[in-house]
Amino acid sequence: MSTKGTHIPDWLAVPFAGITPAPTQQKGQDLFPTGNWRAIRPVYRDKMPPCNNACGTNEKIQGYLDLVKRGKYLDAYALIKEDMPFPSVTGRVCYHPCEQACNRGKYDEAISIRAVERFLGDLGQALPRDVVKAGEPNGKKVAVVGSGPAGHSAAYQLARLGYEVTILEKSPRAGGLNRGGIPDWVLPQDVLDREIERLVELGVTIKTNTEVGKDVSWDDLKKNYDACVLAVGLTDPNSARAEGEDKAGVLFGLPFLRDIGMGTSKVKLGARVAVIGGGNTAIDCAREALRQGAEEVTMITVEGNASEMPAVPEDLHDMLEEGVELMHGLAMTAVLGNGKVEALQLQPARFTGPVNASPIAIDREAPAARFAADNVIIAVGQHASLAWLPEQFKNERGTIKIDRFGRLGDTMFFAAGDIVQLGSGQPLMVVNAVGDGKRVAYSLDKIVRGEPLQERMVPLDVITDLSRMNMTYFPKFARVQQEMLAPVSRKKTQDEVIQAYSEEQAIEEANRCFSCGTCNACDNCYLVCPEPCIVRSVRSNGLYKILVDYCKGCRVCIEECPTGCLEGVPELDFDTGVVRMDTAFAISQGLHGRQKEELENLSERPPKDIDNWT
Amino acid sequence: MSYTELTVWTRGIIMDKEGRDIVNSIAASARLEGKFAQAMENYVDNPDRTNAPTRKYCRISDSEIENALTYENEAPNILVLVEQTMVKGWDYLRGMPPGGTLVINTHYPPEYMMRFVPGPERLAQLVCVDAAKLADHKWLYYRLGELGLDRLSTEGAAERSKAIAPDIAAPLIAAVVKTTGIVKIATIEPMIANKAAFHAALEQIHVLPLNPVAA
Repeated sequence: MSTKGTHIPDWLAVPFAGITPAPTQQKGQDLFPTGNWRAIRPVYRDKMPPCNNACGTNEKIQGYLDLVKRGKYLDAYALIKEDMPFPSVTGRVCYHPCEQACNRGKYDEAISIRAVERFLGDLGQALPRDVVKAGEPNGKKVAVVGSGPAGHSAAYQLARLGYEVTILEKSPRAGGLNRGGIPDWVLPQDVLDREIERLVELGVTIKTNTEVGKDVSWDDLKKNYDACVLAVGLTDPNSARAEGEDKAGVLFGLPFLRDIGMGTSKVKLGARVAVIGGGNTAIDCAREALRQGAEEVTMITVEGNASEMPAVPEDLHDMLEEGVELMHGLAMTAVLGNGKVEALQLQPARFTGPVNASPIAIDREAPAARFAADNVIIAVGQHASLAWLPEQFKNERGTIKIDRFGRLGDTMFFAAGDIVQLGSGQPLMVVNAVGDGKRVAYSLDKIVRGEPLQERMVPLDVITDLSRMNMTYFPKFARVQQEMLAPVSRKKTQDEVIQAYSEEQAIEEANRCFSCGTCNACDNCYLVCPEPCIVRSVRSNGLYKILVDYCKGCRVCIEECPTGCLEGVPELDFDTGVVRMDTAFAISQGLHGRQKEELENLSERPPKDIDNWT
Repeated sequence: MSYTELTVWTRGIIMDKEGRDIVNSIAASARLEGKFAQAMENYVDNPDRTNAPTRKYCRISDSEIENALTYENEAPNILVLVEQTMVKGWDYLRGMPPGGTLVINTHYPPEYMMRFVPGPERLAQLVCVDAAKLADHKWLYYRLGELGLDRLSTEGAAERSKAIAPDIAAPLIAAVVKTTGIVKIATIEPMIANKAAFHAALEQIHVLPLNPVAA
């Protein structure tokens, strides 16, 4: 009998013999809802990548690297701007704790996150208008004291939240430490100027030459503003406690850099310069001294060797390349000379306890060495200048006393940046100050709106490490190196030393990102699933879906997920999501159920009433 | 005149032998006690597929069982789920008369498992026993999260032992026998290979009494 051209009635369209639909068809999945075979259910759950966690301001690093990969630069720039007001600045100066934390660092080489950030920052600078807009005005006025990284960040976030923000800056030009602490050959002034313009475009007023305690008093701040953020930074240089520090030719690190940055420097350096200190400021001073005309620069540190110095290793390397000499295990005990620096008296010294966290012991019995120098730059840290602050808000570290949300007692004053982080164990770096400014701005906003405050907490077990990922999917690729000026030519000019990525380089570097713990829409689960259990409309994070009525829980997708985003959750943790069936081969359930009634009555019907009966 | 039906729900291949050991050992003990008993496998469910739900049946009666051709228990009095997730996906209580017993291999307490049981009003008791843990099951099932799905079989080519209940079946048999009295503990105990797990389970079962039927 031929069935060609015969009509198959609806209730027999899916017979259980002959033409059973394949599971690739929706009908086939209805026929055998095998979801109840499953003990473990795959679930997409994004985790914290280590870079985001390590970043001082918790930039969504994995997020913007992923967008750069796809060529969505503007989206990437907008994402970075959520947490970071000036990516073009941190893209140059940041000490990149993200790169130290990067999982790729344990595999081949860490992603050059800073270089990609700089690429995005420069892209943002070239835009005619910024992507960020000020919030709906809420009628509240906030003063931010200081326009350094913390102040800039707090003002930026408050402006986005709709506050009317005024920045009070004591110097003639805004920028704080970004301008005064970072040399031009790291961060050109016009880059910073453009970022400050962006801040002004957001509606922030910047009053320069306005010093709190002199031009504006504590009571003025209280009276004229609804709230105030103190981000004054550490302004006064520490002394090396050596005799003769008042002699001509003795300079202090931060004022030396600040005067050059502000364009008010009148310093003329001699041929031989000594730098006291082993930190980042000392390195910048040593390299700046070369550019200011010094012939021989020597850095004198208490630390026993270069690896103990509290400095970014790349900067140290670049400094040595430029020809700066290092002397370790020595402290300066006196500046010698007749009214003017002629030589230094050096004596052996060491830390009494942990390096950089304990007092220094100088061996005064040992014979003192004489070190000839025309100038000495002392860069051994800074402290706060807080004469204007009411006594009850000072603490024993000489900084501002705050609660854990950055608030001074129950006043509407808040403090952020180095002024509160000194001695707290946090590194005193630009990105940490930016993060502090951001968090304080959010706390301030919550208090103004009367909402409960929340601390930032990341449960440690959700930070993805390599053991949670499937490393077979990641071939090794070398890091894309940023080009640099040659040491010989760069050390006499103010030209930027490290060069920017091109677009191709930025994409190539972003492509190396593992997207640790986060779905990056690689489509792998969709491809490896042995059954058609994973559906997606658009290839994008959050748009993959598991058909729970059909997935048998074979775990192939979980084991094969390259980033560790997919995880297996015991089925009994879910109350719902499975079709309950009578037996495995349930002839009256699933798609068969629709035929059940017709089939039961079939035997009672005369053959002539049944379609196609011949 | 008593007549009892026992149905075991298990997973194809990976714990097929566990289910078979339960029905076989209980039926054999019943015969030793002078009762009439049947025990059979089920091939309707196509059990040769990993993880596929399959059933094993056992009938015990004081008189001769006349039904020798039906390979399915229509009205089970006792149910055993060898894997805990099965509590969710199957209508295993179908046909159960009031006063039944449900035994589940799980580390959850019976109060938690109750939420998944369809029609618990038919149950006289819900019994939970962490059989995988008591049997110190090494390759296994309840540690799926750590190990990935283990494809070692307890049946066929990879069947490691011809002993009865060398593994997670032993605690489950103990739970069934202790809570229902279907056969005497003294009769079945010599057959069990994993005696340590059997005895441990006698002490460590969690019983949730529900709706007793008036005798």
